[in-house]
Amino acid sequence: MTWLVLIPLLPALAFAAMAPMSRRVRTAVRWLPLAAMSGSLLMSFAAFARVWPGGGEEPVWRATFSLATLGGAPLSVGLRLDAVTAIMLLVVTIVGVCVQVYSLGYMHRDERQGWYFAVLSLFSAAMLLLVLSGDFLLLYMSWEVMGLCSYLLIGFWHEQDAPRRASIKAFLTTRVGDVGFAIGLAAMWAYAHSFDFAVVLRDTHWTVAAATLVSLGLLAGAMGKSAQVPLHVWLPDARAGPTPASALIHAATMVAAGVYLVARALPIFHAAAPWVLIFVMGVGTATALLGATLAMVQYDIKKVLAYSTISQLGYMFIALGAGAEGAALFHLTTHAFFKSLLFLGAGVIIHATHTQDIREMGGLRKTMPWTTGTFLFGALALSGVFPFSGFWSKDDILMTLWTQHTWWSLTALSVALLVAAMTAFYMTRVCIRVFAGRACSLARETHLDMIVPMAVLAGITAVIGFTSPAFAAFLGEVKGWPDLGMAVVGSIAATTGIGLGVWIYAFAGVDTQELRVRFPRVTAVLENGFYFDLTYNRGLVETFQWLTRLLAAFDTTVVDGAVNAVARGWSAASRVSWAFDGTVVDGAVNGVGALVKRAGDRVRTLQSGRVQGYQRLGYAGLLALLGLALLVPYIGALAAAACAFVALIVVGVIVVRGA
Amino acid sequence: MGISDLLSVVVFLPLAGAVVSALVPKTRPEVAKWVAAITMGLGLALTVWIVAVFDRTASGMQFVTNVAWVPQAGIHYHLGVDGVSITMLALSSLLGLIAVIASWKVTDRAPTYFAMLLLLQVGMNGVFLALDFVLFYMFWELVLVPMFFLIGMWGGTRREYASVKFFIYTLAGSVFMLVGMIALYLHTGTFDMVALAKAGSTGALGIGFQNWVFLAFFLGFAVKVPLFPLHTWLPDAHVEAPTAASVLLAGILLKMGTYGFIRVSLPMLPDAARAWAPWIAVLAVISIVYGAAVAFAQTDLKKLVAYSSVSHMGFVMLGIFSMTTAGLNGAVAVMFSHGVVTGMLFLIVGMVYDRTHTRQIADLSGLSSAMPVMGGLLAFASFASLGLPGLSGFVGEFLSLIGAWQSAVIPHWITVIAAVGVLLAAAYMLWMVLRVVLGKPSEVLRGLPDASTRELWVLAPLVALTLIVGLYWSSLLAFVDPAVKALVALVGGAA
Repeated sequence: MTWLVLIPLLPALAFAAMAPMSRRVRTAVRWLPLAAMSGSLLMSFAAFARVWPGGGEEPVWRATFSLATLGGAPLSVGLRLDAVTAIMLLVVTIVGVCVQVYSLGYMHRDERQGWYFAVLSLFSAAMLLLVLSGDFLLLYMSWEVMGLCSYLLIGFWHEQDAPRRASIKAFLTTRVGDVGFAIGLAAMWAYAHSFDFAVVLRDTHWTVAAATLVSLGLLAGAMGKSAQVPLHVWLPDARAGPTPASALIHAATMVAAGVYLVARALPIFHAAAPWVLIFVMGVGTATALLGATLAMVQYDIKKVLAYSTISQLGYMFIALGAGAEGAALFHLTTHAFFKSLLFLGAGVIIHATHTQDIREMGGLRKTMPWTTGTFLFGALALSGVFPFSGFWSKDDILMTLWTQHTWWSLTALSVALLVAAMTAFYMTRVCIRVFAGRACSLARETHLDMIVPMAVLAGITAVIGFTSPAFAAFLGEVKGWPDLGMAVVGSIAATTGIGLGVWIYAFAGVDTQELRVRFPRVTAVLENGFYFDLTYNRGLVETFQWLTRLLAAFDTTVVDGAVNAVARGWSAASRVSWAFDGTVVDGAVNGVGALVKRAGDRVRTLQSGRVQGYQRLGYAGLLALLGLALLVPYIGALAAAACAFVALIVVGVIVVRGA
Repeated sequence: MGISDLLSVVVFLPLAGAVVSALVPKTRPEVAKWVAAITMGLGLALTVWIVAVFDRTASGMQFVTNVAWVPQAGIHYHLGVDGVSITMLALSSLLGLIAVIASWKVTDRAPTYFAMLLLLQVGMNGVFLALDFVLFYMFWELVLVPMFFLIGMWGGTRREYASVKFFIYTLAGSVFMLVGMIALYLHTGTFDMVALAKAGSTGALGIGFQNWVFLAFFLGFAVKVPLFPLHTWLPDAHVEAPTAASVLLAGILLKMGTYGFIRVSLPMLPDAARAWAPWIAVLAVISIVYGAAVAFAQTDLKKLVAYSSVSHMGFVMLGIFSMTTAGLNGAVAVMFSHGVVTGMLFLIVGMVYDRTHTRQIADLSGLSSAMPVMGGLLAFASFASLGLPGLSGFVGEFLSLIGAWQSAVIPHWITVIAAVGVLLAAAYMLWMVLRVVLGKPSEVLRGLPDASTRELWVLAPLVALTLIVGLYWSSLLAFVDPAVKALVALVGGAA
């Protein structure tokens, strides 16, 4: 089954072929990544067929490559195919192909579109390699390459200020988490001497301390990539990139990689101190709530979706905190389809209305029926309405929390229900603002090549929920159909949110403007996203910049100042000794003194001298050095003493002058 | 002439080239540059040959030449190469040729200029191949002279100051190194570096003696690396040096310092090295973070790259004094990668400067729009420099980190701070990319030509090496590991 290597390799080759091309040629072959990705899609289906019916954690295929040997012991990376990988491959390739097809239409007027497609292809390669990785090192490496692609795509329109700043923010914020990831890997290597899943995840010798350290490191990386509080700030800004890239990278795949990482590493989390998993759940809960709260007050449609993504990723982290790998991955899967669908729909809407502000939109249901229909599918799924996919996966998570029945899981459950209602509310708000009301005359339905990918995703969104028991069984978990009680509770939450949204926005039950005016403090807090950005900018970024300027000044004045002071002192001392030596005929010492004096004078006065002088000086110095080197053996002890003497003088001068 | 004489040819071939080049009349600069290019090309070809026939499974010295030179004092003409030095030799030969081609447009006193580059090559190659301390010291000091003139005669506006500072600072360091060498000689009666390494590992030298000698060598090597706080000669020298000299300064001269630690300090003075390791690790980590922070604040592109060198060399020091195979492999990988990547950065900065006559970050913006190829290559080099996996910078940084964590002598908190350095590297590099590569093209870039064919040829081998080493670590580490393994066994560090 070595052909599995081709799954990431095909898109990688497409990138490698396109990268050195000229802009014109690149544009001409812009379909190349789609061709490569289609190949990967077919092979992913084949791979899935090999794993089916699954049910075990054992990989059906493994391959290892030796990266290097360290002290004779191999440092290997490897690929593996198991149930989790098979699912992730399908998610990435299906969404990937849909986004590629859509992009061909969406980007066709951009003159740098070839580069866009090339980077999208590199991203796909990295993401596919990530899910095929059989060890944490290869996973980390592809993780970082994805970060690069995300950076390049967010900053795609780099001549404008906002994308440029958003791109560096995204890269650096996620890299804050990656510092933890790297330390986790270093600790993993020190304790287990391997990065291989088969070794590390089975290792029964984990001490609690080691497992805690490693799992916290990995968690830090995951929190950066999956935009968990407090590292979530980059994701809302990432909307500066082209919308289909947001759909693929910042909604469906890359941001879910953190969830995937923790899901893979769960055995280490279980071996760690118990509070680690509770902490994971806490992070998820906080993130889910924060994302949903902020999504309710945004006017930028992409920002609503971005905060919604943050919130849903928080949901997945809640599941991980409960140790429910299957529930987390199922929500990852359903979310990948409906959220990419929503982003693609948003892209069409933005193109049609030339605005991202939902207040300036309206009545699109009449002019853009296809977009409206598919978007509604996504919105219903996200809101958790039966029978759309989000209903099933959300229910899984809620049920897990209920079954665990600890005080923290029940706290998380109540917050999760609240978030479910809020989610339904903000999606209702968006849909009413965009699709209902008076028609926006400019808007026109998009072309078929962009509708088809959305329709495909909408179809998957409608049916994939029913695979819930099969999904669990495929991963080797035993789970029946959803519990009716929890389904009812979840549906009540969703209905409440939708009802509230309809009442406020369709029937103008509450004047939101008046609310804003009446509670200015609350409005300010929400509009500033709980002041995370402001705090980071003031507290971290500006402090850091100030500190670097301070250190740079320190470097030139203090550190280098000390060097120049020594040179000055040396020069003065040599003048004194020169005067002294003038009476004692000692050519060698004179030569050194003169060299030192002249050089010292140069350093002190910074005046420009004649180069020939230096040349002569340098030749003389060279001859002296060669002579010294040749003389050493004959007068070894004497020369050693002389050198030690010179050294002592130098040290003495440094000490005296430095004091 | 047997195959073992290859090393001698590689070392002294450039000397012959230097003599020929110096004799070329000033009116025929093109002859001098061809002489230099051919000599360097031959040297590189011979190096490739050596690399090809080098036995990668052996840990000892290969291609050894060892003849008595001054028998009365036990001084030998002793050359040899092992897995560590062959990587440095390869880097030195490659960058030597690249430096010549990058200097193709130099017409000012060209014969002397190229003679200096060739003379420099003799010293650089010699340092990495010498196995006798007297020989080592001669090559070590020989390097200073041509570099002094390259900076002093072909440098920027403050060249006088920078060149004298460079010369005296590093010379002051080598005086201490000389003291250390002589002390070792008086104690053991030999200048033979292989024998001294054996003596050190068998515990023939007492810890009290080792400590003093270690300190002497430390001062000599640390200035060269340069380790905080002995680094301030570096930004001045880099900013004033002509492009080719900057490339060699960063690419090779800094590595002489870390090479010294690997070749001398660790094997000959292992007990002292272990005792000092935590303190050196502290200096290393200060270099990493401090260098990165100061780099962030720079307004001059070349100075930014110079301070980034201080940061990267900190990783080398951390890897070396972890005294683990992972760390030492990582250290050598950073040495190699830094030579390649920083070489690329200096070359590109030089190419931009040739066109715009400015290195001020504030004056430049939108390079990728004005010159797509040049801008793309600068971004590529930046990502390699900040340690992106798949490119060469990652290999060494990562191995240094896991080596440091594994190390019995370095506390974990030091490694944690070093890991933060990786974040800072991304910060200063991307902040530079944001201002220089991205954005709307600035006025000074208007209408300027993109990279020429010659410039692409200068950069192409470096781009290729960055990718090859980054994707296939063994291409480099297969040479290094056996030597490193033997060294770690010698000094008794962790596997």
